[in-house]
Amino acid sequence: MKVRTRMIVLFLLPAGILYLFFFLVPAAWAFYFSVFDWSGFGEAKVFIGLGNYAELMKDSLFIKSFGNTMRILLIGGIVTFILAFLLTILINVGVRGKKFFRAMIFMPNVIATIALTTLWAFIYNPKFGLLNAILTKLGFVELGKTLWTASDKVFYSMLVALIWIQVGFMVVLLMAGRDKIPFEYYEAAKIEGANAFQMFRKITVPLMWDVITVATVLWSIFALKVFEFPYAFFGIQPPIQIYTVGIYLYIMGFGKRDPIYRLGYATAIGVVLLLAVIVVIVVLQRLMRREVHEY
Amino acid sequence: MTNEQSLETPHRISRKSIVIERVKKWLRLTPSYLVLVLWSFFTMFAILWTIASSFKTNRELFTEVWSLPTTISFDNYIKAWTTVKMGKYFFNSLEVVLISLVIILFISAPVAYILSRVRFRGSGVLLLIFTAGIGIPVQLLYIPLFFIMTKLHIINSLYGLGILYIALSIPFTVFILTGFFGSLPRELEEASVIDGCTDFQVYWKIMLPLASPGLITAAIFNFIGLWNEYQVALVFINNPDLRTLPLGLYSLSNAMQYTGDWVGLMAGVVIIMVPTILLYTILSERMISGITMGSVKA
Repeated sequence: MKVRTRMIVLFLLPAGILYLFFFLVPAAWAFYFSVFDWSGFGEAKVFIGLGNYAELMKDSLFIKSFGNTMRILLIGGIVTFILAFLLTILINVGVRGKKFFRAMIFMPNVIATIALTTLWAFIYNPKFGLLNAILTKLGFVELGKTLWTASDKVFYSMLVALIWIQVGFMVVLLMAGRDKIPFEYYEAAKIEGANAFQMFRKITVPLMWDVITVATVLWSIFALKVFEFPYAFFGIQPPIQIYTVGIYLYIMGFGKRDPIYRLGYATAIGVVLLLAVIVVIVVLQRLMRREVHEY
Repeated sequence: MTNEQSLETPHRISRKSIVIERVKKWLRLTPSYLVLVLWSFFTMFAILWTIASSFKTNRELFTEVWSLPTTISFDNYIKAWTTVKMGKYFFNSLEVVLISLVIILFISAPVAYILSRVRFRGSGVLLLIFTAGIGIPVQLLYIPLFFIMTKLHIINSLYGLGILYIALSIPFTVFILTGFFGSLPRELEEASVIDGCTDFQVYWKIMLPLASPGLITAAIFNFIGLWNEYQVALVFINNPDLRTLPLGLYSLSNAMQYTGDWVGLMAGVVIIMVPTILLYTILSERMISGITMGSVKA
């Protein structure tokens, strides 16, 4: 028994120490830092209580960033889910090369964000871009002159590209859930005269509910902390139209071209972000709680 | 394998009904093929177009955007590799990612093993703590980490970045590996203990080799994730000589707005893309099964 204990400690210790000091402690410390006005790593910290949080509530740029993050979470989430479900169904009606299609749809997920943003920069390029070239070819000459990265369009242009990447991840999850459903269920339903929509609603969705729940939680975590893609989407400086909470935090903490170093303030943004993750997960679990279907 | 199309009753099959069934099947499958082929084609086209462009000159790129390059020239690559230092960044990345990867697996596998197979007081809570990091936004950690790293004098160093990569990868790796260890039969352990193996030998000689598919999956995931990572590197690396490949490419893409050297950027994009795409082409099934491992109970 003693040997056991020693082994448990020995096995958990190396990862435990690193995880504690470079993950859990900083996470806890963030709460502490967030109640100070702190304008640089060498500077003194001034305790201001919830002052940073109060300021955040009035900071229009933060509210804008938070709104953008929520739009990614909700609009992006809904579109990604619909597309992923659609592709999952289409892939499951008996096409050849199921695995090939799945692998192709997932592909963007293995490519560096910065490579993908370069690609999309060229797709949206007003003069030479793929999108405008196709639109012009199809006869939409006026539409084919659109500047897709103009400030009123850049957010949704970015979101489309982001969805294109994330759909692949979602398809992989949903397909795995779909493949677990015994095919006899569909057979029986067909004999009973059910149509495709009824089968989707009465068999596919309920039996995939656990997978759908996991996918929703993963999407929410991803969407709330999204940083890399919007940050690199526009080149040097992301315009405020595509600020996310993560980007705003980075800019407040480390600045754009010129350093800003509002360290306490930036950390408070991080705390809000964590709270948002927790709230969203709790709400989702409430909303999505259903009886588990055994089969 | 699910297969829903063979539902007709066998005794009524006539030639006419076979034809009708065929037509029906095609009508049903055509929209699927159309969407799936278009979607896949777009992705494939995007990748191939990037590769093709990386061999062109800028003049050629902008006059003949969609054509193949007229001559195959490696000038862009030579320039990217040497003048823009992508070669240096490539090896910076390789060093950080490979060393981190080995350590991540070496320290996460024992955690996953213990927490999935040994029951003791608090083991459930520990597993929860170890995987909780998946839900913690990395941005929350930036300023506290910056503070800690400055105190330890490992800011702006590849070692420091490696340590962060290791720590940040632990939750996900433990999560995947507990799935794999948890699925191994318990009899194996019991049999090897009876054969006289110590607990440690059971882990090292029996369980670890059996979990190697899981280790490989975790390795691919972490490799691709860390190879492409630029957010953490952006915060913690300031010295241009220490840039990782994504960071180098990011600054190249920023510089491009002034230089207009698109084809040079494309060469950089290809350099960063090729390792992960190659890995994915060989091991895509394993990778995809890894995503579904923890998230979808088999």
